[in-house]
Amino acid sequence: MSEGALAKTNPVLRVDDLQKSFGGLAATDHATFGVEPGTITGLIGPNGAGKSTLFNLISGFYEPDGGTVEVNGADVTGMEPYEVADHGLIRTFQTPRKLEGMTVREAMLVGPRKQPGESFLNLFTSPGAVDESESANLAEAERILEEFEIDHLATQPATDISGGQMKLVELARAMLAEPEVLLLDEPVAGVNPTLAKKLKTQIRRLNEQGTTFLLIEHDMEFVMDLADPIVVLDQGHVLTEGTPDEVRNDERVIEAYLGGGA
Amino acid sequence: MSALSDPKGALSDLTRPEGWVLGVSVAFLLFLLVALLTGALGPSYFLFLVGLAGMYALLSFGLNAQWGFTGLINFSVAAFFGIGAYGSALITASSSPVAERLADVPVLGSLFGLPLVGLAVGLVVAFVLAVLIGIPTLRLRADYLAIASLGLAEVVRLIVLNERWLTNGSAGVRGIPGFFQGWPVLSTFPEAMPGLRLEIVPGSPIFLETSFWQALLNVLLVLAFAGGAYLVLRRAHRSPWGRVLRTIRSDEDLARALGKNTYSFKMQSFVLGSLIMALAGVFYTHLNLYVGPGDLDPITTFYAWVAVILGGSGSNRGALFGGIVIVTIREGTRFLNDVALPINPAPLRLLLIGVVIVAVMRYRPQGILPPQRELIWPNAIDDRGAPNRPDSGVREQKGGGGDE
Repeated sequence: MSEGALAKTNPVLRVDDLQKSFGGLAATDHATFGVEPGTITGLIGPNGAGKSTLFNLISGFYEPDGGTVEVNGADVTGMEPYEVADHGLIRTFQTPRKLEGMTVREAMLVGPRKQPGESFLNLFTSPGAVDESESANLAEAERILEEFEIDHLATQPATDISGGQMKLVELARAMLAEPEVLLLDEPVAGVNPTLAKKLKTQIRRLNEQGTTFLLIEHDMEFVMDLADPIVVLDQGHVLTEGTPDEVRNDERVIEAYLGGGA
Repeated sequence: MSALSDPKGALSDLTRPEGWVLGVSVAFLLFLLVALLTGALGPSYFLFLVGLAGMYALLSFGLNAQWGFTGLINFSVAAFFGIGAYGSALITASSSPVAERLADVPVLGSLFGLPLVGLAVGLVVAFVLAVLIGIPTLRLRADYLAIASLGLAEVVRLIVLNERWLTNGSAGVRGIPGFFQGWPVLSTFPEAMPGLRLEIVPGSPIFLETSFWQALLNVLLVLAFAGGAYLVLRRAHRSPWGRVLRTIRSDEDLARALGKNTYSFKMQSFVLGSLIMALAGVFYTHLNLYVGPGDLDPITTFYAWVAVILGGSGSNRGALFGGIVIVTIREGTRFLNDVALPINPAPLRLLLIGVVIVAVMRYRPQGILPPQRELIWPNAIDDRGAPNRPDSGVREQKGGGGDE
């Protein structure tokens, strides 16, 4: 307990000594860091630093070779993605595929977890419970769409909206899953500046309301403005972490980005 | 709004393809009516065709629940159909080798000969097989199920062909009773009905005899099977359960990230579809009163796929429509025998189906009747007083009023 910095922390997401290799290449190399509740934590690093691999390990899409992942104090290492989601960790994808044949509103309704209507038997044995939850979810979906100022898209086919709008819908849908910690994989990649600004406002608003974020982003201006602290990843391990200013002025970070040290 | 309370509104609500399908269907029904009245089409044979159409509708419903809902590629439609058919045949038929051997076993022996037991056995075997093939393949990418199911179809067919002690091999199973044998009233209904002679068009009387009433019972049976399956699928399709399946079809990883156990959902979809296919097989057994290894030929799988793609993947009524079209082409071409053609008309059947599918793919790749409106649990929408139709349809500019 001598390390005062560690003693006061109680991270909502803790990654400890995580390892993953692909055919001899260590994509994640003994990575250790924590995400404090209530923060927007940025995860940056040069191309190939292992950011996406780390996301896949945390969210259960890859099984780690070693190390542990804890969400809310529960060990979720090696769990299926849906089980990790049940512990309150939800993630988005870099390039969301559009849901064919669904309206935006329908696509939103995939979000809520543990819906009674997702049990085939319930559809016939307790339709009343399905009615109730579906009505509540629909109302909630429309409320969130309004908050995101995209309620005009509700009945549009999900295949017809722009990539940037889709990113907003994705964020809105993830909120329906009521995450404690939300992992965003490049939320503003390929999004026009106006929508990117909107996304930033929304992420900040949701954060103030209590959602913890961990986000990968290549847009430095975006991430430096939004995130604190920032974790820098290089060649699979954590190079450093700190406030945006600390990270910006760290020589090792500059070197990693310029491809030095090789 | 229902078509009964507001027929005009219901009509103007139809999209162009819906109107087109309705028009063609009405014309086709009129044509059949004329053929029936003039005696060109025997009433018993007509009802046999309706039964066959119901059977194909069931097969397409089953495949639609797998491919249309979830995107599962199943090439063993014929195998599940055959399991339903053989399952019920081996229990009920007088020539069943299994029944002969087990006839003296107490309790077990007395279960043979009962069509309801045959139905249960067909469904249970199909269930077990679907789970067994699903366990190793549904965790993997979609193509693995496709390959495994291709193999399964052949394995089931070869077992049926070669295991004579079980299936009579290539001789097939004869002596199958009607489905209603042993039921009160219904078992003797065809014999009890009087033979009728109707003469609506002068000079061409129509005879309604025992075979007609028997065929009528079969039609009622298939209506019950297909109607039940349709209602179950329609409700499931519009539910949160169906929504997860449709998400898996577009992006399985997304569904997993949102906390859905996609393996379990895919298994449910696969088993449900396979059970409906087996149900089609059970009905076929009691319609045809004979089953042989030829009934497991891959052509049945091919027909089901054509029906689903033609009707519009993901749409239950599209599957129904596709099934009817397949039977019309399959059986309708028989009448070409009466017309003098320079070539043998039998192979024309497959050619015609090929032309139809190419035309659909070229001009309407989403199928004739794709799902056309938002699939949200109906009561949730009604409760909120929100418009029950999107501003613009998912695929058409107008949403259909009736279904999907």
